[in-house]
Amino acid sequence: MREITFIDAIREAYEEEMRRDNSVFIVGQDVRGAIFPHTKGLVEEFGPERIVDTPIAESGMYGVAFGAAQEGMRPVCDFMFGGFSYVTFSECSVTTGQYHFLHGSQHPLPLVITAGVGTGQRLANDHAMSIHGTFAHHPGIKVAMPSTPYDAKGMFKSAIRDNNPVVIPWHMGIMMLKGEVPELGDDYVVPLGVADIKREGSDVTVLANSLQLQHALTVAEKLAGELSVEVIDPRSFVPFDMDTLLTSLEKTNRLVVVDEDWESGGFAATVSARVMEQGFDLLDAPVTRVTLPNMPVPGGYMEEYVAPNPERIEAAIRAVCA
Amino acid sequence: MALTSDQMVLLYRNMVRADQFNKMMYRRMMQGKLIGFYHPAEGAIAPGVGASTFLNQDDNLSPHHRGHGITHMLCKGIDIKYYLAEHTGKETGCCKGRSAFHFSFPEHKVYMMSGFIGYNFAPVVGWGFAAKRRAQGQVVMNCSGDGSYGQGRAHEAMLMSQNWQLPVIFFCENNGMSIFSTAQEMHPQENIASLADGFGMPSIIVDGQDVFAVAEASLQAIERARTGGGPTFIEAKTLRFNEHDIGTPDLSGWEERSAEEHEAMRKREPIRIATERVLGDSLLTQNEIDQIIEDALAEIEAVEQFADESPIARPPVEELMAGVFAD
Repeated sequence: MREITFIDAIREAYEEEMRRDNSVFIVGQDVRGAIFPHTKGLVEEFGPERIVDTPIAESGMYGVAFGAAQEGMRPVCDFMFGGFSYVTFSECSVTTGQYHFLHGSQHPLPLVITAGVGTGQRLANDHAMSIHGTFAHHPGIKVAMPSTPYDAKGMFKSAIRDNNPVVIPWHMGIMMLKGEVPELGDDYVVPLGVADIKREGSDVTVLANSLQLQHALTVAEKLAGELSVEVIDPRSFVPFDMDTLLTSLEKTNRLVVVDEDWESGGFAATVSARVMEQGFDLLDAPVTRVTLPNMPVPGGYMEEYVAPNPERIEAAIRAVCA
Repeated sequence: MALTSDQMVLLYRNMVRADQFNKMMYRRMMQGKLIGFYHPAEGAIAPGVGASTFLNQDDNLSPHHRGHGITHMLCKGIDIKYYLAEHTGKETGCCKGRSAFHFSFPEHKVYMMSGFIGYNFAPVVGWGFAAKRRAQGQVVMNCSGDGSYGQGRAHEAMLMSQNWQLPVIFFCENNGMSIFSTAQEMHPQENIASLADGFGMPSIIVDGQDVFAVAEASLQAIERARTGGGPTFIEAKTLRFNEHDIGTPDLSGWEERSAEEHEAMRKREPIRIATERVLGDSLLTQNEIDQIIEDALAEIEAVEQFADESPIARPPVEELMAGVFAD
């Protein structure tokens, strides 16, 4: 199989979906010139009518996506950095999440929200925050985040075809990660709501996503021979594949949740609570979380103080297996 | 754009219907027969009727929240019985009784009422974007009050609509009041329409108590939008006879609105202005007007009966959970 980068995989998903369906378009700021390369060159094939730049007016920009989706189109709204979605967060979360349900479940809202997220660029809080947990808090919105080029292409295609609002950020720390992807024209999709066991193991389960999945796999390899670590990529946060996690815990009885989000009220807390509610008897040790401490993400070299990393993940694994 | 006699009679009929529907909603709120609240439209019904009567089914309409959009929606051919059923928590409601006061009639391209004032503006850009791309003459009538133009979203929508020459009509129903605060105090210039100047958008200021004047301005803007001429700003100067929503005090700032102010306002009663016109122009006789009122009352009786006889919506929670996402 050929190898391409994570960010190129997203671009291939856009290209194939836009060729397949004329109602798909991308709206954002400076997506034509491609501030991030997932939209690079698209304007040459699809024109400025489908690769749409707006003024710096996030509500209006998201309004293009929201209103066009109501009109039956399938927009992808690119916020550039995840934190920028908070500029119009009331629309993205409240108005979007309630739209279909509150109005009698009679009118779907098929749109995609994406943005680069995560630590690693030393850009500080508003350019480094994760958004999946905050969006996952609001009902009516699907939330997913790919971790490999294969998943990125397949999940973005699924998100664009989905009849619901889908928030699918991508982590800047794995932008250039290379991985195997089927040949062009092989129209595969990765369904939303299905977790993936990225490495099998028997002593402890680590749930991790995106950059942190790469860290977890590094640690699992390092510990091989000493501890057998099963690494699960949730891929989707809403809906979340609880069955895959519980099945894994039947084998390992131990869980570390790595989540590049704040400790308080984050997705890791939700998973931890659900495991206690639905799988308490499976546990031989308390669920352990590796998250960001509850401080705004500092920039510069202090980012290293707060971001989850292989050392913290290894320490958590050892603690839960002790 | 001069109106034909038929157009004027249709506008008059819709004025009477809007007036009677508003009175019904007021009465039901006072009787405890509505869920939530009601923002009465008395004094301010002409703008919605003038803006909405000549829209096509596939034109988008965002109704003003005053009168809960009824004066606008009934002019677009929407059967209000499904909205009254919604507003009374019934399973026959337009949103299956889930939404309290929200409405949604996607087949008429009235998608939503946001509980956040000024949240019409952002989706409106998307409707205009889709309409322009479709290039079939679809227009967007975007109605909201003077208060909503405080939202940055209003300015963003005007910016983008003018940039892209979208078929959007920014229809401002300026009743001079935003809950207790006056437009005079909340906006730097007397005319909200002056905002359009900054974007190079054409604007019309019209007497919002005169439904015929409002309709003429609306038809002009609709024609411009349909033929690719881009957006228009219409400011209809109107009035709010009642308090903001039933039960709140009727204040200007923090003091009671005066009897003199009310007396002056009520001289500009829009039904009376319209009635004088249709009688003066011999478009209708008093007998015909009486019949129009009778028809409206009969329509409302049927609407109330439908809502009152419909069962209360109390579906199992599983059914609700299954409705959070679309298939």
